[in-house]
Amino acid sequence: MAVLGIESSAHTFGVGIAMDGNILSNEKEMYRIGKGGMIPNKVAEFHIDNAAGVIDRALEEASIALREIECIGYTKGPGMGPCLQVGELTAKMLAARLRVPIVPVNHGIGHIEIARHFAGQNDPVVLYVSGGNSQILKIDARPYRHYKVLGETMDIGIGNMFDTFARGIGLDPAWGSTVEKAAQNGGYVELPYTVKGMDFSFTGLLTQALRLSGSVGREDLCFSLREISFSMLCETTERALMLTDSSELCVCGGVAQSQRLREMLGLVAKEHGASFGFAPNEFNADNGGMIAFVAERMHRGNYHVPIERCGILQRYRIEEAVVFG
Amino acid sequence: MASRLFGEGAEARLYTASVFGRSIAVKSREPKAYRVMELDLRLRAQRTRSEARLMQRALSLGVRVPRLIALGRFSIYMERLDGRLLKDARITVRHATQIGRALARLHNGNVVHGDFTPANIMEFGKELYIIDFGLAESSGRLEDKAIDVLLMKKALSKDVYPAFARAYASDSREGKAVMGRLAEMEKRGRYQVRTLT
Ligand SMILES: Nc1ncnc2c1ncn2[C@@H]1O[C@H](COP(=O)(O)OP(=O)(O)O)[C@@H](O)[C@H]1O
Ligand SMILES: [Mg+2]
Repeated sequence: MAVLGIESSAHTFGVGIAMDGNILSNEKEMYRIGKGGMIPNKVAEFHIDNAAGVIDRALEEASIALREIECIGYTKGPGMGPCLQVGELTAKMLAARLRVPIVPVNHGIGHIEIARHFAGQNDPVVLYVSGGNSQILKIDARPYRHYKVLGETMDIGIGNMFDTFARGIGLDPAWGSTVEKAAQNGGYVELPYTVKGMDFSFTGLLTQALRLSGSVGREDLCFSLREISFSMLCETTERALMLTDSSELCVCGGVAQSQRLREMLGLVAKEHGASFGFAPNEFNADNGGMIAFVAERMHRGNYHVPIERCGILQRYRIEEAVVFG
Repeated sequence: MASRLFGEGAEARLYTASVFGRSIAVKSREPKAYRVMELDLRLRAQRTRSEARLMQRALSLGVRVPRLIALGRFSIYMERLDGRLLKDARITVRHATQIGRALARLHNGNVVHGDFTPANIMEFGKELYIIDFGLAESSGRLEDKAIDVLLMKKALSKDVYPAFARAYASDSREGKAVMGRLAEMEKRGRYQVRTLT
């Protein structure tokens, strides 16, 4: 028996199948952003068009028949309303038709838990970095088992910073990797560096980088933007590691695909004798596999929600989600 | 100058050394392997300068801090206090009152400490010294001041917190406003102050 998970909070429609803590398949379709950015209704339409096909592929890849699915998980939030609704409706339809329970999953918990799983860690300090999110977290057992935010961005997510910058200098913001590529041959120029305790801020850095884009070379700006923003993440993460006296560190979310960020965090962990881990790239980008993985744990913990009370929550805070396993 | 490591923080190491028979503490910002050299040098130098400057400002505001002896590019040489940290002591009402007064003086001069906990207050002789201006800033913002109060509040027992709050509110020029902002922040829970308890 297996659990099917659906992710649709942003540009990706993903479906994964999990069984006994293993991920049997992880299929997805990604909406191409282009220069216009993301228009929620357009992306939702894209998800509707792709839902059936991606579900079929996930089942096929896992060699599982639809009637073998014992629970459906979907992303409840946070994310864009119209997009989340597609996943929610698809999940409700499947659950009703199969007469199986349904569990709503927090998107961020999906990213974190899948990374913790692949890293083989128990109680790590987690750096969660994606388009809209940049947080440092750790499990707290009270008043219920959840991820407590130790530090976070005071303004925008780091992925959005990279994408906005790329667009601002006329590059295609293709999944954040544009800046990383352009950074390869760059050198250092001075840009604002803003941390406060375990919090950090990216707008000052972004504004100044855009302001200099007429006079300073593109490669140098990309390099410095990357080095300075990643250093801010490393410094605050290191502080969290020390203050919590942790021996495990992991990184997750779309920006965790960056080789350079991994290299830097690896050095932070090494300095403190901590282990360092992350998930394979297909699980750092948005995906359904992580939702299936978390949904299975919630299912085993009997955390089912009656279908009429399953909804979406565009601003679903990560602290609100109960963590199982 | 023989020196011995006696403490390690998130970004600095503390050494003790003896100069002309006098025992001094050296707070030295060490390189971080993860960041590029230019940024590493810039941050370490900037923060060393800023910390020393804010220690001097605190002193001029009438707050007890370790005396500055010398300033290197990445190191602060200061008087070594042979005392004990308040985090290792039983904090009395008398302590709490002194802490409140000291914080009010800092805030009256628009210095916020940034890490105002008993781990950064040292009792030496009969006096309390504020140490570690590594996260301190020059700021007049109510929110920044309220965070200092809140951090200490979380660390103090219910028995002694009122004495701290009373001393702070009566000596601070904006005591009322800061305490009001603190109450607001605690209620709001939106901009949560991240602590580890
Ligand atoms: N002037 C001093 N005299 C004696 N001990 C000191 C002095 N300054 C710092 N220390 C000791 O070193 C420790 C770390 O120093 P601190 O300035 O708080 O650095 P960090 O920024 O790493 O926390 C303190 O907790 C205290 O025990
Ligand atoms: Mg300290």
